[in-house]
Order: sequence, then structure tokens, then C-alpha cells
Amino acid sequence: MAIPIKVPRLGWTMEEGVFVEWLKPEGATITPGDQLYVLEGEKAAQEIESIDGGTLRLPPDAPRPGQTVPVGAVLGYLLEPGEMPHWEAEANRPRGTREVGRQAPRRQPPGGSGDSTHGDGSEVGSPRTAALVATSSGGRRPAISPRARRMAAELGIDWMAITGTGRTGRIRERDVRAFAEHRLGAAHPTVSTAILVEPHSSSGRLVPLSASRRTIAERMSASARTVAAVTLTSKVDATNLVSFRNQFKLAGDSSDSLVPSFTDLIVKLAAMALKQHPLLNASWRDDGIFYSAAIDIGVAVDTDAGLLAPVVRDVPSLGLRQLAVETRRLVERARARRLTADELRGGTFTVTNLGMYGVDAFTPIINLPQCAILGVGRIVREPAVLGDQIVPREVLTLSLSFDHRVVDGAPAARFLDMLRQAVEQPAPWLVP
Amino acid sequence: MRELTFMKATLEGLSEEMAKDPTIFVFGEGVGKRGGNFNTTVGLYDLYGPERLCDTPISERGFVGLACGAAMTGTRPVVDFMFGDFILDSLGELINQVAKMQYMSSGRLKMPLLLRGCIGIGHSAATHHSGSFYPMYTHFPGFRVVVPSTPADAKGLLKTALNSFDPVMFLEHKEILSVKGPVPDGEHFVEFGKASVVRPGGDVTVVALALMVHKALTACEQLAAEGISVELIDPRTVAPLDIDTILESVRKTGRLLIVDETFGPCGIGAEIAAQVIDRGFDDLDAPIRRVNGVHTPTPYSPPLEAAVVPNADTIAEAIRELTAE
Repeated sequence: MAIPIKVPRLGWTMEEGVFVEWLKPEGATITPGDQLYVLEGEKAAQEIESIDGGTLRLPPDAPRPGQTVPVGAVLGYLLEPGEMPHWEAEANRPRGTREVGRQAPRRQPPGGSGDSTHGDGSEVGSPRTAALVATSSGGRRPAISPRARRMAAELGIDWMAITGTGRTGRIRERDVRAFAEHRLGAAHPTVSTAILVEPHSSSGRLVPLSASRRTIAERMSASARTVAAVTLTSKVDATNLVSFRNQFKLAGDSSDSLVPSFTDLIVKLAAMALKQHPLLNASWRDDGIFYSAAIDIGVAVDTDAGLLAPVVRDVPSLGLRQLAVETRRLVERARARRLTADELRGGTFTVTNLGMYGVDAFTPIINLPQCAILGVGRIVREPAVLGDQIVPREVLTLSLSFDHRVVDGAPAARFLDMLRQAVEQPAPWLVP
Repeated sequence: MRELTFMKATLEGLSEEMAKDPTIFVFGEGVGKRGGNFNTTVGLYDLYGPERLCDTPISERGFVGLACGAAMTGTRPVVDFMFGDFILDSLGELINQVAKMQYMSSGRLKMPLLLRGCIGIGHSAATHHSGSFYPMYTHFPGFRVVVPSTPADAKGLLKTALNSFDPVMFLEHKEILSVKGPVPDGEHFVEFGKASVVRPGGDVTVVALALMVHKALTACEQLAAEGISVELIDPRTVAPLDIDTILESVRKTGRLLIVDETFGPCGIGAEIAAQVIDRGFDDLDAPIRRVNGVHTPTPYSPPLEAAVVPNADTIAEAIRELTAE
């Protein structure tokens, strides 16, 4: 029996991905465990391992590299020795048996064309056509509830492209809704770009949305839409922190001694402050507010493919050097686009540093469902009044955005104040 | 509001109407001095005397025939069958005469009979005393079929029945006769063919009757804790059946479960499902499901008896299953 190779769900909310490339040629003999193809999920591209074995065969309408494919779409088949793929078997069948199929217009199966799933809507047929065509494509027709079918017709959605979550894979109303919201979310940036670009359309350049860009856009707008965000900023005297770090620099003569970055230091201090203020180490859920026992901090990394926030696990248990090694590893993997979905999942707080670009204060967008995010600005030498004297000090601005649904202003301010004290007198917090 | 048991509420309704209408009289086995096997007429003998609380021999076909003639000639007989199972012994008179007489006479004759009996499985009453059969009566044109679940509904529907000019099957589940509930003071009527939305919800519609309303309500409470919001509907009368309220609910939820203690095949669940598919097909997001009692004569053994009827757990499980469809 031919085993279909289907697009897996790499993350909780993944609905579609970009098929990057095959790692094995067509006709190759695959054994379970072989790295079979590369799929770009919500943020990272992953090599996907084959669970089954067989001969890799691709149908004529298989997705091409670079194409967007919905979860569950068939990329190819693994065949038994001597087995004929169904499209060849069908082509060899005597005339007459496919009459009915021939009458109806042919269309691509789900996932056959990435553009049809979320494009400009030009491929969306009338419900009548869709139903007719769906019947004619035989075994591939996904089951859909009458209610879901009506909703798809109302929203002008081609439900052939939807992956059902009902028992036996039936498409339910919620699947159509989710698909519509997803498409709407994806469509917004396109629309606004189009409006901006239109007057200069001859000289501009339209870059199609990548899966990563779309995910970032969805996350950001979801956050901006749902969160009651408040940002507090605090100017902090970082003189001691700078000198603390300089001690690593001065001592670091051998190649294996890594100097922790300012981000590392802030991540560590933020973790210690979160331990004291667990109200900020929280996430919003529909059924309540979840206070995480673990302190796992996401670190925002700028990459060619866009913003990523890999997660450093259990920060309080890591020594400064271990932390520095771990963040460096994650940053390198992020830039090489080698992060796994697991490395991006489940952070409880995020730190984002724009200090290297000369930014003082900003309003970072909360990384849902987390409760808060800390923005780190640049460190500048500024005149400060210390006692009765004006002295030069290293000054840093911290910007804390928090979700006022989850936590109130006073506890957030207390957390920021503790972090300020920790930055000003870092040694007791950083030395275990 | 004051609380009455189901049985006290119907007794009050019967007594109120008997006081107003001297043509109402009760026929049945042990309904006189004894006050009825299920206390349906307790105290009425002292109030209204032996002519209006008339004990009969054990001959259902005989006394239903008498009641039929009495109704045709201008009185309002209440036939108290004790166990609803014994209604079957009078089916010839009921279906061939009582239900047809108004049509046969082009409406010149009215048939204001109240036919009451206790139904349902429980108390190891075994197979001759556990029948419900209400789906069967809905099959025949001419009957009103009432299956109440609360004391207030029971009183209000009984009083409506005693003012109706059609034969009314009034079927009381014997496992809820002692259930207490609020009953309004004074005149209280409940219209036939008006379902009650027992509990509003958004995820699944559950239709239940009689004792199953109470079991389903327990299931709803369990499921609310799991985040499943159930809309529970009690049609109260199965003929006429308020399909509009059910359709309106399915329009909201897209999912329908019918919980019915009696047998599944050709039952009320099958009828409701067919009507919903007919008129609400595009509202359905999942197949329509039924929970029924096991299709078997009711066993005497208590554990076996418990095994053939739906309970809160089996109903909750069916709802969970349906939400996963």
C-alpha cells in the first residue's frame, strides 16, 4: 500500500508551511529514520525524518520547492517494491471507466497549489463548483459538515484546502473559521502593502510573504489586538554592571572563556527578579492566568528571516558562563535558521535588546501568551549627581511592557524597581 | 415560591379543575377511597364523592370504552391507568375510537379525555411495569401526548389537558413523582407544544424528556466544569412537538443529542432527528446522536435494570463524543 507523506504540524498553531526541498531524489529507497525533506514551519525550517520506508515517488501535481502547503497536504508517496503509483495506474486504466471524472473540470488536490490557499481569492470557486469538483475527484474529497460547507460558501472559501479536525478528518465549522481568520490575518499586511505601493508600483518591489513573515505579522497583530499593554521605563545606573562585565573581559585571555553579553547579564538579573516577583512570570489563558514554576526566558534575535525569540530554559539554574554559552548557541542556530520548534516554544518572559542600535527606550510588543517583555536600551555615559558632585555614570534605560489583563501596574513597577536595584548592584545577584 | 412534589402538584391541578367543572370524573382501579396506586387521587374521594371517583374492575378495554362514550356525551372523563403499561390493554378502543371520533363526526363530537398513567424504568418494577411507549402514541393522529419533567410543568400541563377537547395521554415518570420543585400559586397553565429551555448553552443541544431531563442536567453540570456548554431542551409534549425551539437551538450549536429513556428504533429521537435534518440540515456541524435505553424488555435484577437505562455518566460521555465529531 502506498503510504502518503503528509505535511506535519510542527507547532501548536501551525496551519501551513513552506515546502523547502527534498533531501532524497525521486525513486530513492527510503528507510525509516532517513532525513526526507525540509519544511519551514512557523519560524524555523526543519529537516523531517521519514517514519516509514519505501520507494519515494512524487505525483505530477506534487508541491514544488518553495510552495506553501497546508498541514496534511500530501507531498509524495512511499511505495512498496513493484507497486505502481495510483496516478500511473489510473493513466493505464482502459477508457470509459473515468467518464464521469472527465466530464467535470479537473482541479488540483489540496495543497496542489500554495497560491490557492491564501492568495487574492481569484481561485475561489462558487460553492456549487467546489462541490461538483470535489465529488469528481473521488477518494480525495475531504468530508465536511453541512454547517461548515455553508460557512465556507458564505466566506467564499475553497474548503478543499482546509484540513479538518473532526473525527475521521471531517471539516467542521471551527476549521473553516480558523482558516478564514488565518487568511484574514495574512491578507491584512498584503492589502496595506498594496495600498502603500500602488502610486509607485512601477518602481517598487513586492516581496511575497514568507511563512516566517506571516507568523511574525500574525503574532504581532494578535498581541496588539488582544493585550492591554502598558510600558514602564526606568533609567538605571549601569556603571557597576559595566565594570562587572569588564572584569570578565580583562580576565578573559584564554579562548574558551566567554565574556557574557549585556543581554546575558540582563537576562540573568531579570530571572532573579522574576523569582521574587512571580506575578510577572505568568501567561494569559482563556481559563485563567498561569503562573509558571519554571523561568524560561526568550531572547529576541534579529535574523535575515526576521525576528526570532529562542528560549533559554531554567535561567536561574544556569551559571553566567553556561548562560552565555547557551545564548550564543541559540543565536547562532537562529541566524543559521536551524532552530527547532522546541527551541522556540514555551518561554515565560522575553528580553529584547536594541542598545546596539543607539535606542534608549521603546515599547516592545508582548510575546503572547507571556505577560511581559523587557526592552533593553543603550548604555550611555551621562553626567549624574552623586552626593553633591556631578560625575560621569553609565546610564541604561529599561522598558518593561506588560499585559494589564494579567498583572496590575504596581506589581509590575515593583518588579522593574527590583531589576533597577539589581542592575545597579549586580554582584550579589550574579554570583551564586 | 412554594415547593411541591410532582405528584402533589398534579393532585392540586386535578382538584382545582374538578372544583370548577362538575363534568370531570375519574375512572380507574383503586382511585376512590384508596386514592390511587401512585396517590394520584388522594383526598379527592372525600371532596367529590364516589360518583366522581369511580373504581373500576380490572378491564381496561371495558372502562376505556365507557369513558369514550361518556366523553362523546358531554363529560370529561379522567382515566387513571395506574401503570402506563396497562394502557396497552385498551389500545383498540383508544386508537380506533377515542382518537378517531372527532374526525369521524366531522368535529361534531368532542373527545375531552385525560388518559393518565405512570411510565418509566425503576424500582425493579420489571418488564410489565416499566414501559413508556409515548413515541408510539405520537404515531397516531388524534392524541396529545404529554411527558412532563417538573412539578410546575406537570400541574400546568394537567390543567391545560383538562381544558382541552382532544384526548390527552398524560404520562408521568414514576421515578420523579417525589421530586420537589417550585410551583406557582393560583391558576397555572402550560401550553401544549411549547418546549422549555431548561439550561441555555452554546456548544451542544441536548433534548431530553421526563426523568432524562434530570439526568441530563447533572451531566450538563459535569460538562460545564470541562468547558462544554450544553443547551438542554425539554419538549414537555411530544405531540404536538415543538421542533422550532429545537431547530433554533441547533442553529446556534450545530450539534444535537436526543436523550430518551425508551427504545431507540422508530422512537421520538428518530423523529426529532428526521425533522431537524429536514429543516436544519445546513445548521448541523456533526451527525445527530441519540442516547436510548437498551432495546430489550426491562430486566427485574437491579444491576441489570440500571444497565439498560441512560444515566448522567453515559449522557455526559455521549455529549463529549459528539463535541469531538
